[in-house]
Amino acid sequence: MHMESVLSGHSAVELRSVIREYQMGSSRVRAVNDVSLSIERGECVALLGPSGSGKSTLLNLMAGLDRPTSGSIVVNGRDLAAMNSEELARYRRHAVGMIFQSFNLVPSMTLVENVELPMRFAEVDRSERRERCRELLARVGLAGRAAHRPSELSGGEQQRGAIARALVNRPTLLLADEPTGNLDSRTGHEIMELLRELNQTLGVTIVMVTHEQPIADQYTQRAFHMADGRLIHVVEGVQQ
Amino acid sequence: MKRQDLVELALRNVRNSRLRNTLTTLGIAVGVASLVAMLSLGIGLQQFANSRLKSSGLFETIFVTSRQDWRNADRDEDKKDPKFEEAPALDDNARRAIGKIGNVVEVQPEIRAMAEIEFNGKPYASFIAGLPPSARDAEGFDKLQGNFFSAAEVDEVLVQQEFAKRLDPDPKNLIGKELTLRFARRETQMGENGGPGSLSITREQRTFRIVGVLEEEPFGGMRIISRARAFIPTATAEKMNLMQFSDTQQLVRAAPGTRVYSMLTVRTASSAKAEQVQNTIKQMGFGTYSFLDATKNMRRFFTVLDLFLGIFGSLALAVASLAIVNTLVMAVLERRREIGIMKALGASDIDVKKIFFAEAAAMGVVGGVLGVVLGWLIGRAINLGTNIYLARNNMPAETLWSVPVWLVLGAVGFSVLVSIAAGIYPAARAAKLDPVQALRYE
Repeated sequence: MHMESVLSGHSAVELRSVIREYQMGSSRVRAVNDVSLSIERGECVALLGPSGSGKSTLLNLMAGLDRPTSGSIVVNGRDLAAMNSEELARYRRHAVGMIFQSFNLVPSMTLVENVELPMRFAEVDRSERRERCRELLARVGLAGRAAHRPSELSGGEQQRGAIARALVNRPTLLLADEPTGNLDSRTGHEIMELLRELNQTLGVTIVMVTHEQPIADQYTQRAFHMADGRLIHVVEGVQQ
Repeated sequence: MKRQDLVELALRNVRNSRLRNTLTTLGIAVGVASLVAMLSLGIGLQQFANSRLKSSGLFETIFVTSRQDWRNADRDEDKKDPKFEEAPALDDNARRAIGKIGNVVEVQPEIRAMAEIEFNGKPYASFIAGLPPSARDAEGFDKLQGNFFSAAEVDEVLVQQEFAKRLDPDPKNLIGKELTLRFARRETQMGENGGPGSLSITREQRTFRIVGVLEEEPFGGMRIISRARAFIPTATAEKMNLMQFSDTQQLVRAAPGTRVYSMLTVRTASSAKAEQVQNTIKQMGFGTYSFLDATKNMRRFFTVLDLFLGIFGSLALAVASLAIVNTLVMAVLERRREIGIMKALGASDIDVKKIFFAEAAAMGVVGGVLGVVLGWLIGRAINLGTNIYLARNNMPAETLWSVPVWLVLGAVGFSVLVSIAAGIYPAARAAKLDPVQALRYE
């Protein structure tokens, strides 16, 4: 699948001269400064860099949660910069899944309700929802925890639940913002193993923000190193 | 997002801050209750006044007098046409002419005369009056004990209850018994040029069977002329040639003519036709009186009253709507992160807005329903209090308050509308929330 998309010339994500400026008081700060990159379909890549390097901003731009000041972000052949807010919402709903450092499960909802939530926005049929919830919770190893609230789950379990929720609308792109940042090292590796397995079996493209070099080295095919909003260099990983 | 999901999410959220939302909902309920209580009282008073007038039959009725005898009730009209001496006489010709006007059901003379009633050998001086057959349907005879006259012209009598009690402590016993009426019968001798030359009055007596007892006076007691203790069919009264006030007037009148009436009562097909008939009779040169003008003023009065009651009632709801704004703004602040998560998962600005509107509407529906129940109870309490007061003053109980279906639906609808309007600002704030900032780690 990887080879096929390379040959056909379609990237999963294509960033061209992306700039994101913020107004901070009287000065303008460039959180992302002229970044161009291309991620192939089915790839698993890392955005690496110290805090404030612009990697999370870049991820939010790819997620359609934020808009670039200039440049274009083409996902599945469509430019996010040209979309209105309704189109961006539809994009987030169907084309991308997101997981976060702090899991961001809705605390008042049970695990299965959290997983179901994106399907409410996508207007998936109720019977279909139940089926998909069961399938995905089983896949991330939480079949027995469906009725628990996030506060009753361990960090690793919460992140697995968040992964199930991110994939429930069958996106082609999974964006992960420091997915192991709040987990101990063993659990972090478990989560990364799960992501790798999903990447390989489902063919979902994964873009992951991290500041842990070893994680990037071990689990991703390429790492984009960032500093001060710029893309410094790209490292081809050992992982195949 | 589908409606069912919207409702589910909104109800979850309402449940999650149960205390705060309950208090806000109670606030709406109190607001709706005050509105319902105020309006139900206004409507009730109007219905009470209307029913009193309607059962009196006065709305379909026009009173016609000759302007030779009586001036118009409306003094301005007398000034416009001051030559009332030349006005036509209210005689049999006039009676026939009025009877031919469209939508006139019946034209009856008002007959009322002094008489003596003898019952069980005891004499009672009293006025007696004629009642037309139509009185039975239209003039508030709901509270009739016994029966109405069996025919248009029959020797039967209805007695008024207070008087009946004097005849027998239990008026029911009177029905079927007979009483004797002694009355003055007049005979008119025609003069040389067709006018009455002289009147002769003789005393006669006649036996009537009591068929019914009237709890209330006919026409709600509002037609002074028909105030009497005993009522006989108008046709019978006419044949009896009862001596009346107008007979003297007729005798002394210089102009020749047939018999004249002091007053004719014209009944129209419906109250809606009464105005048109009244105008036609006016154009014929007669004086008229109806209750239509009085009703117009009354309707205007109640419209203004309802408006004021509505405004005062709405004030509490306006305060409650501020509570909704406050509750939802707090909810937006508290649920910043959750809103951010929902947006990241694909909720559109409109979805977020709808969720907050649905929460406001949910509080509006529950508050509205509770408020209607509460308002109904308040109305009942006021009515009960009024009736206790009335009972203490030996007056019959009345319904001064009414909650019609449209008020129930309207109040709940208004409550939902106000709640949704109160949700506009918080919902817009929630929708505008920047998901990146909302999700930023603390």
